[in-house]
Amino acid sequence: MRDVAIVSFAQAGSLVDTAESETQMLLPVINAAIEGSGITRADIGFTCSGSADYLAGTPFAFVANLEAVGAWPPISESHVDMDGAWALYEAWVRLQHGDVDVALAFSSGISSRSDLGEVLCLQNDPYYLMPLWADHVSLAALQARALLDQGLATEADLAEVVARSRRNAAANPSAHPDVRAAGDLSVDQLLEAAYTVAPLRAADCPPTTDGAAAVILVAGDRAREVCDNPAWIRGIDHRSEAHYPGLRDLAHAGSARLAAEHAGVADAPIEVAELAATFSHEELLLTEALGLGADTEVNPSGGALASNPMMVSGLIRIGEAFRQINEHGKHRTLGHAASGPCLQQNLVCVLEGDS
Amino acid sequence: MTDTDPQVADDGPVRFMPQLISLDYTVRTNPVAAAFGEALADGRITGHRCPSCSLVFVPPKGFCPICTIETTSADEVVIEDRGMVTAWTVLTPIQYHGQQERKDYALASILLVGADGTVGQQRLIDIPLDEIRPGLMVEAVWAAPEDRVADDRGYGLGTAIDGWKATGEPDAPASEYEGHTL
Repeated sequence: MRDVAIVSFAQAGSLVDTAESETQMLLPVINAAIEGSGITRADIGFTCSGSADYLAGTPFAFVANLEAVGAWPPISESHVDMDGAWALYEAWVRLQHGDVDVALAFSSGISSRSDLGEVLCLQNDPYYLMPLWADHVSLAALQARALLDQGLATEADLAEVVARSRRNAAANPSAHPDVRAAGDLSVDQLLEAAYTVAPLRAADCPPTTDGAAAVILVAGDRAREVCDNPAWIRGIDHRSEAHYPGLRDLAHAGSARLAAEHAGVADAPIEVAELAATFSHEELLLTEALGLGADTEVNPSGGALASNPMMVSGLIRIGEAFRQINEHGKHRTLGHAASGPCLQQNLVCVLEGDS
Repeated sequence: MTDTDPQVADDGPVRFMPQLISLDYTVRTNPVAAAFGEALADGRITGHRCPSCSLVFVPPKGFCPICTIETTSADEVVIEDRGMVTAWTVLTPIQYHGQQERKDYALASILLVGADGTVGQQRLIDIPLDEIRPGLMVEAVWAAPEDRVADDRGYGLGTAIDGWKATGEPDAPASEYEGHTL
């Protein structure tokens, strides 16, 4: 495998009810990622984006988004209807071909203009779950209930995740302003709140967030030339569950476990893990599935509970894992992304610094 | 949400389950598109001139997609409501429920004087279909002021202009539009 590193990351991580077009939202983020990379725009050999036009209800928004990259000269590009973490994966695969050395991966999502509880139903199979309008929060609550019923977690455990995420979010300027404004909440305070969909309370669920993010990937020694402390992708893998949630034990995240195995998570200690746990119980599931121990710091950014721009949240997790190496001097970190109901699809990316 | 009223005879070997889905969206008009819409309501077509490459984009995008820099109201310019046809399509309306069109008609891409890109899907009015040609000079037939509504998302000219009629001027030379034909 060819060594590929992340050398730059930029985000507009927590826009609230943005009035901008998706392209307007992306432009400064992509510019910042390129400017921060030490690479010129003309040197980018491959571009891959992730977004879903269903969110803002703008057909072919993903095509217009390319204007934020530059409409001329023509570029080699691709798009995934997935979180930007999967765009990063495709860019990494493209760099493995060996003929280009630099790639841009970016993603964007405006989920404030629709009801995610309706839109995300369209991910379900069209015969059984779609006609029931089985919304993502209700499905997440079923998974949380499975954890509680099997004695793998308590509601207080979920509240612990929320409390820590919110404490961490206070120091993250890219966290959702409403979460930051709410301040610290104790486990007891959190447990006093009414259920949204039992056993999940509002704070167990992510805030509605608009946002965008971009990363620059560089292969080989060139990464060290342009970046003082690049984060090398040592392992990256993604796996999926069966489509129908009823066909699996929801109390375990099998595809996340498989992705972690193939990404080599267990090869050495992970200092920091950024997990796309959009509901509190998912962090508990993922920590177990990825084999993370007590010495791994989880979601120092506050995670997806503190800011969850759909289609961007996973790429931000990898970006935050990059920052832990690039800015904070950590050696080995992990970024995780998820998609679909109940952690249906999972991507694990293991990063290492030179130091 | 969902309409599951059976509309189809369900007595054959295959069972049908009609399921019509609708999703509700809030459409937000971005500030650049909103300013463009206000100008249209006022009878003016505006664009943004890129301060770097000087290209004029109509409608304005709030950025230059060539230079990838942001543009603002400080870069706003007023464009003439007159221009040249660069390309067109003659549409023959198929009669389906709700179809309002009865006769063949033409939609054109028009390069407005002062703009560096065309506006598409513009209705040509009172121009025989076999006389449409590249370089044909046309001018706007504005809708009544109360009907001038810009597209919420900043595409095209919305309903501000009913269509375009020939000005009678000599055709523009090919050198003025050849970079804009498909």
